[in-house]
Formats: sequence, structure tokens, C-alpha cells
Amino acid sequence: MTKPLSIRNLVKNFGGLTATDDISFDLNEGQSTGLIGPNGAGKTTIFSQIMGEYRQTSGTIELNGTEISKLSTPARIRLGVSRTYQVPRPFAEFTVLENVRVGLMPDSIWKMITESPNVDREIELALSVGFSESDLRRTPDELSMGDLRKLEMARTMATNPRIMLLDEVFAGLTVGEIDQIAKLIQKMRSENMTFLIVSHDLKALEPLVDDAIAINYGKVIAQGSFASVISDKAVRTSYLGT
Amino acid sequence: MGLGLRWYHFALWAGFILVMALMPEFVSKGTLRTMIFANFLAIFAISWDVLSGRTGYISFGHPFLIGIGAYTTAILTKRFDVPVEYAIPAAIAMTMVGGTIMFLPALRIKGSYFALVSLAFMELIYQLVQVIRPDLTGGTRGMSGIVTLTRGAANGYYLSFSLMIIVALSMWLLMRTRLGTALSAIAMNEESVKGSGLSPTKLKLFAFMTSAFVAGLGGAFYVHYLGSIAPRALFDINFVFTIIVATLIGGASTIVGPMFGAFFLTFLLEYLRPFLPGAERYLIYGAIALLLYMYQPKGLYHIFMSQLDRFKKKGDDD
Repeated sequence: MTKPLSIRNLVKNFGGLTATDDISFDLNEGQSTGLIGPNGAGKTTIFSQIMGEYRQTSGTIELNGTEISKLSTPARIRLGVSRTYQVPRPFAEFTVLENVRVGLMPDSIWKMITESPNVDREIELALSVGFSESDLRRTPDELSMGDLRKLEMARTMATNPRIMLLDEVFAGLTVGEIDQIAKLIQKMRSENMTFLIVSHDLKALEPLVDDAIAINYGKVIAQGSFASVISDKAVRTSYLGT
Repeated sequence: MGLGLRWYHFALWAGFILVMALMPEFVSKGTLRTMIFANFLAIFAISWDVLSGRTGYISFGHPFLIGIGAYTTAILTKRFDVPVEYAIPAAIAMTMVGGTIMFLPALRIKGSYFALVSLAFMELIYQLVQVIRPDLTGGTRGMSGIVTLTRGAANGYYLSFSLMIIVALSMWLLMRTRLGTALSAIAMNEESVKGSGLSPTKLKLFAFMTSAFVAGLGGAFYVHYLGSIAPRALFDINFVFTIIVATLIGGASTIVGPMFGAFFLTFLLEYLRPFLPGAERYLIYGAIALLLYMYQPKGLYHIFMSQLDRFKKKGDDD
């Protein structure tokens, strides 16, 4: 049975530095996986390779059995994988709704011109991540970090993904905001979304994932259930420092 | 199509067209001739705005595109006796080829690097038209005696105004679609456009081609209005800055702004002429542009819109 995401022997060299070193893992349909490791371990580099922002030096990445290594980022997004960024990247002069609108656009100039924006869907997406009606006309400079992360989630969801890669989704958030984002992720899990989540906040991550992959120096050092990974000796030494 | 048009859009455009159409009845021929230049400058400013105002790829070499349109139709009609009705479409097509060439560096570079490369394009064509086949291009002296399409100030005005209004209205409508949103998004964050599943390359190519189409159209008709072409005046950095300043004074990324900016700047320069006949005039418009940017960097259009909003809010409060 084909997996939604299957990575085999992924290697990425930046000059003399090996950022990801023979990484292999699969994600199952509806599965939520935590990707953990210390700073500089290569987590974000894995995301960037899955999205085609970096081309891997060697190895394969398959989405539902289709090898995607030669595809552009927009083509990969059309195949159903999308990501958020550690540092949110909103469109600074657009309102919340306009930001979501960009995510909803078809990658066809003709359709952009001839078809109307689906404002109802824009509103639905913005409200679903926790924005209120009064937030919809706000611009990113009026939003908190939590709101910016929600906006990033909404724009990512707008591309209609089946796999979402969430990078440091809780960084810089208040306890209330973490709770809000966590509830959103749980809701999407119940709708069978497949997740790969990077987070340093293990407490917040634990209830959101089925299992975990720990990496260090670009190599997988532990893989399995979340509990088994965080109790792994190598993980505790390299990541938790205990 | 989701253009979000309201009744006042129709009213404002209709009112503007009506007032402008009646101009020849009320103003002198001299003023009409100034307005003809303003119309052409508006076309060039809109062309610049579609590319640079929207996507943020600042072109310092727009005369490269305008020049291709102007020279192609001038050479075809004067040297090869091609009728104007074929020469102008050919000129526009050639300009779009030029737009594609100018687009290639934008695949790899952006910001000030792209601006410098675009300036190099202008310098390149300036040198080329002088040394390559001067028997065709007229070399350093350019060409004169090119067939003109109109006689008299009023006819010239109507032709240039019709062109300008067709270009302005069609670009205004086009930029009100989601395409306009996507092009503006490129200027804000090209990586996020890609991360939203859209191809920035496709969008940028469209912007370059559309900008080239408008520049070629404007350049071709301009040369058939003037009846002559002079490389030193066309490929001049002051001409580039006039286009850019007109757009920025009016309000970049708005289409309407560059149109108003072009009229404001043309008339400003014209009224300053008796007092400052030389290049000193550019100092004055530079100072006005500077003051305006310090007050409202988004230009006259945004000053007008913010006043309108205040007026509306006041009306609501009352």
C-alpha cells in the first residue's frame, strides 16, 4: 500500500556539511508524527527538501507513490503537501482575508482572472483557525505572534493539503494560543489529516502525535512511539541533556 | 469575475471620460499638446506600474521596451513601407519578445540587482541603435519623416486619450481580479507565493509581457504622433525617472495613480518652463516628489482615498 509520504536515504550536503544524512521514514494516512531534535539537527532542512525548496543531494521523496524530487514547490503543493514556517511569512500589506485568498488561488492565470474569489471559504478558513470577524480586515502588523501562526495555518490549509508539515508551530505563543492551535490540530487529525510536526515544546507536542522521529546531526537516532523516543538514551543525551 | 465594482466606479470613470473628451472645446491647442504628452506618459507609467509597482521588480530600463516598439514601427513604415496597421502590431509583438528577454534575469535576481540589469538593457539598446545598421535606425540622429496618424492638436489628443483610457481601464479591471492580488503578493513575499502553491515565474512572466505590450503600444503610437525618433531623448535616464516619479507621485500599484501622476508631472514641468527653461526644472519636481514621499509614500492616490474615507466616516457619524 502506498504511503502518503515516503522518504528514502535522504542526503543533503551544503558544501562540506551534511545536513541530512541517509534519512528514511514513512508517514501513514491520518498519522501524526513529531519530528524532534536539537537546534541545527536538520529538521527544517527535511521540510525544505520535502517541499522542493532545497533539492536533495541523493535519496527519494514519494507522495502517494509519486516520486516528486524533480517537481517544483507549487507542483508538490498541488499533490497535497503544504508547510508552515518557523518564522511566519505573511503578505505584509494584505488583510487576513487577502492572505488566505492567496492560498486559495488556482495556479492558473486564466482562472485567476475569470473566477471570483471564494470569500465564504476565505472567511470559513480564517474563522476555523480562531480569528474573530473583527480580525478579518486586520493586516499582519496588527497581529500577535499567535495570530500570525494562525494566519500561516489558514493559508496552508487553503492549499487543500492532505499532509501538513508544521514547523515550530508553538514557538512564541502564550499558553492560551498553544491550546487554540492544539485544538485546531486535533480537529484536523479527526478529519484524517496527516501531520509531521516540528516542535521544541514536547509537552504541547505529546498529545498531538502518534509517534516521533528524533534526529541529530542529520541522522535518525530514534523512531517509534512518542514515549519510547523521548525515553531513548541517545535522545535524552543529545536533546534533553539528561 | 469578482471585480467588486460599485456604482461610483462607473460614475467616476464615466465622468472622467466625459470631462476629458470635452477638453478640446475648452482648452487651448498648446494645453492640448501638453495633455497629449501627459496621455503618453500615463501609458508608459501604467506599463511600469504593472511590472514594477505590482511585482516589486523595479525597472530602470523601461525605455528599452518603449524603444523596441518605437523603432520597430518606425523602421517598418519608413524603410520598408509597411502599412501602419501591420507595423504597430508587429512592433507590439517585438516589444513582447523584448519583455521576455528582460524577464530572463528576473528568474535569478531581484531588488537593486535587477534594477541595475534593467538599466543595462536600456544602455545596450541605446548603443545598438547607433552602431548596428544606422542605415535602418538613423544612427545617432535617429529618424524623422515617419508617417503620422493624426493632424492637428485635437485629433492627436483624441487618439492619445483613447489609447490611454483603453489601457488604463483594461489594466485597472485586470488588476482588480485575483491576478492583481497575486502580482502584489510577489512584491511582498515571493517565497510565500510559492509556498501558497502559485508559480511566481508564471506570474512574473505575465507581468513582464503585459508591461511590454503596453510599452510597445505606447511607444509605437508615440512615434507615429511625433513623426520622429531621437535615441538620445528616448534612452535618457531623465525619461526613466519621469516615468518612475509619475507613478510614485500618483501612487504605485494602483493604475489610477500613475495616470494622475503623469498629468500632475507633465503640467508641473510645463508650468515651470517659463521660469526654469533648462534642466533645473527636474530639481523642482525632485523636491516636490521628495516632500510628497515624506508626507505620504504611497502617493496622491492614497492621500485622496484617505480623505475620502475620512469624509465617509464623518458622514456616517453625522
